[in-house]
Amino acid sequence: MLASAAAAAALLPRRLNPNPNPKPYLLKRLASSTTTSSSARTTPPNPQIPISGAAAATAAEVESNPTPLFLRPAEHPIPATSLAAFRRRAESLIPPTAPHLHRHLRWLLADAAGEDPALLRLPLGDLEALWIRHVRDRRPFQYVVGNEHWRDMVVAVREGVLIPRPETEAVVEMVGNVEGFEGGWWADLGTGSGAIAVAVARMMGPKGRVFATDVSEVAIEVARLNVQRYGMQDKVEIRHGSWFEPLEDLKGKLMGVISNPPYIPTEDLPGLQPEVGWHEPKLALDGGKDGLEHLLHLCEGLSSVLKPGGFFVFETNGNKQSEFLVDFISTKWDSSFCDVGAVLDFADIKRFVTGYRR
Amino acid sequence: MASRLLTRSTTAARLLSHLRFPRALNPSQLDSLLGPSRGLPAAAERCPFGDPPNRWFSSPTAVAEAPMTADGLTVDSIAGKGWTILPEDDSDWRSHAAAVAQSVKLIKKRLKWGWILERSKQLSVVLERPDLWDDPVFAGKVSREHGELIGKIKSVNLFEQELMEHIDMLRLAREEDDNELEKETMRALAEMRRSAKEKELNALLSGDNDSCSCFIEVQAGAGGTESMDWAAMIMNMYRSWAQRRGYTVTIVEEMPGEIAGIKRATIKVDGEYAFGYAKAEVGVHRLVRISPFDSGKRRHTSFAAVAVVPILGDGSTRYQIKDSDLRIERFRSGGPGGQHANCTESAVRIVHIPTGITATCQNERSQHMNKSSAMAVLQSRLDQLEIARQAQMNADHTQSLSEISWGNQIRSYVLHPYRMVKDLRTNYEVSDPDSVLNGDLDDFILNFLSTSLDEADGSA
Repeated sequence: MLASAAAAAALLPRRLNPNPNPKPYLLKRLASSTTTSSSARTTPPNPQIPISGAAAATAAEVESNPTPLFLRPAEHPIPATSLAAFRRRAESLIPPTAPHLHRHLRWLLADAAGEDPALLRLPLGDLEALWIRHVRDRRPFQYVVGNEHWRDMVVAVREGVLIPRPETEAVVEMVGNVEGFEGGWWADLGTGSGAIAVAVARMMGPKGRVFATDVSEVAIEVARLNVQRYGMQDKVEIRHGSWFEPLEDLKGKLMGVISNPPYIPTEDLPGLQPEVGWHEPKLALDGGKDGLEHLLHLCEGLSSVLKPGGFFVFETNGNKQSEFLVDFISTKWDSSFCDVGAVLDFADIKRFVTGYRR
Repeated sequence: MASRLLTRSTTAARLLSHLRFPRALNPSQLDSLLGPSRGLPAAAERCPFGDPPNRWFSSPTAVAEAPMTADGLTVDSIAGKGWTILPEDDSDWRSHAAAVAQSVKLIKKRLKWGWILERSKQLSVVLERPDLWDDPVFAGKVSREHGELIGKIKSVNLFEQELMEHIDMLRLAREEDDNELEKETMRALAEMRRSAKEKELNALLSGDNDSCSCFIEVQAGAGGTESMDWAAMIMNMYRSWAQRRGYTVTIVEEMPGEIAGIKRATIKVDGEYAFGYAKAEVGVHRLVRISPFDSGKRRHTSFAAVAVVPILGDGSTRYQIKDSDLRIERFRSGGPGGQHANCTESAVRIVHIPTGITATCQNERSQHMNKSSAMAVLQSRLDQLEIARQAQMNADHTQSLSEISWGNQIRSYVLHPYRMVKDLRTNYEVSDPDSVLNGDLDDFILNFLSTSLDEADGSA
């Protein structure tokens, strides 16, 4: 899976030959991309280096547009034949052995198309640039289209915000299982795109509130967009600041605390999948030594913000980290918490730590 | 107004007679007189001519004779003459009349005409009982059912009557050499033919779940790439058929073949009567052609199986699924997961452990949505199982059960050495396989639907 994009690049010249009419500029860009990726590049490409004249300028422009692709107006007329030609060119860049890339192409076209199939949400040249960047630079597909389908929502994302993971969908379920959750006040610490906060708010009754905090300005902006898109302005309050800092006024009043903090040990960062390591924000990934820095900070603050009987759920790096935290909380704060335990994700990894304030 | 007065007075008379002769027969005796079934089967309860007004106190008079023209033509005799039915824009009265007569016969079949007449007679007898109104609830029931039957009979008879009048009028116009009248009557006949066709269609699609949306599943038979390609062709045929009909098509699941085609695939067809039409396609489809995958250019025969599952509305979901009976399998990236991985693979497979039935969805972009899609497929499959189980207990429905089984070959598509598509159930055939494979299926479907009515009628 991880190696498939590189494999795709390696296959490029062979796949391209049967193409009767390759566009010269495409060939040029391809040539540059195959040479770089075949030399087993381990560092992220520097986006400052121009790629090839005008096309590079387009690529930079495309990425500077903060509006997710699927929310842009469809105002670029496109003849069906040009679109079909693009599809063929794009397919020639990826081998049949990479089903995920074929899937991405299908989704990209779906997101780029307007209601009227004769209109695109961006110029064809930009679409081409997006696709090449995705295949060659391994820019995450979610940043390319500006969204991630998560639970039953389409969450807007962009560079600088962690892409919500499928594992995290389960957090919302756990919150939904807490008795009376729909009328309580909740905090989502380090909300990022706001996916969890919005999903929880959507299940709540009229009295329920979610206070979503994040230290990143970009995250605040994206979370605000997602809250708006789902009409949750009355239920989700976004506050700028680190972890508990913006919640001074809510001490002892929260029914629950949710967080998916950065938990990857710093020493593991260089080995990450390129889509993650090269493109996603360190701020949302780097958990410090052992990956526990932020998780421990969160545990420390829990007892003062939660009201008696309040619930917490944290996502962790998996088995060891969860076991450690369960052990740590139940020995150090035995008098403050009960029912502390680890919860499995769909891959049977102990992904979450949950418990109740006594 | 006159008829209403009459109705009222007969009712009054009957009421009076009840007062005079109390308790000649108790309600349970009446029950046995009415025969084993007190309600009509679902098929007969819906009238293609629209629901008649509630006739609580309608007259229990016997049904009128079949309408007839001045020189003794009836719907049955017209249908029996075997007049050729020409396209609608040909103005030949015989062709129009034959088309209408055919539709009327089909509608009668659907209504179980003979049975309806018999039952309305029985009910009339019951309504004449002097002590009927001793049990007002029962009397109401009898009188309502009778009213409904009479309403259906009358609306069919009226339609027949209209046809006969047009024919008479046309004859008159010709005798009198009145061109204008003739033209007008022809127009009316053509109009009648159209509305008869519509009513016929409604009558064809009046099964329990016919109005539902459905899933269509296609599975390639043995034979490798050639039959996988055939399965893909069949799937395309249904997709374009559904699009032509204005249905929304979504791919739920698709397992591509290694070289070409599909091993199996499921699509969801959303729209009114999708199941009613598509159910005619259940069975094994056979293809004969020179395989493009055979370098020796030999002729190959391949098979693809098609299953159609209705999507029952929320209200009528029959099978209760227990969470503990499910095993949910999701894609696992295999690594540490969580923040470490960026993975867009979100396929979900659900196994219903007690029955071993599974459902997969990979079409949606989130696991959550794939799971609910797969659950919908699973629910429908289990519902279908439940319908089949109930049908087995109810002898009336075994006919349709045999139609939903997988084993039977239903249609043959021959591209070489000659070109033909033939339905093995109805013997309907066309010599242009391309148009059929492009989704021009309606004739096959309608032919099958009316033939299956014939069978149902014959066995009744």
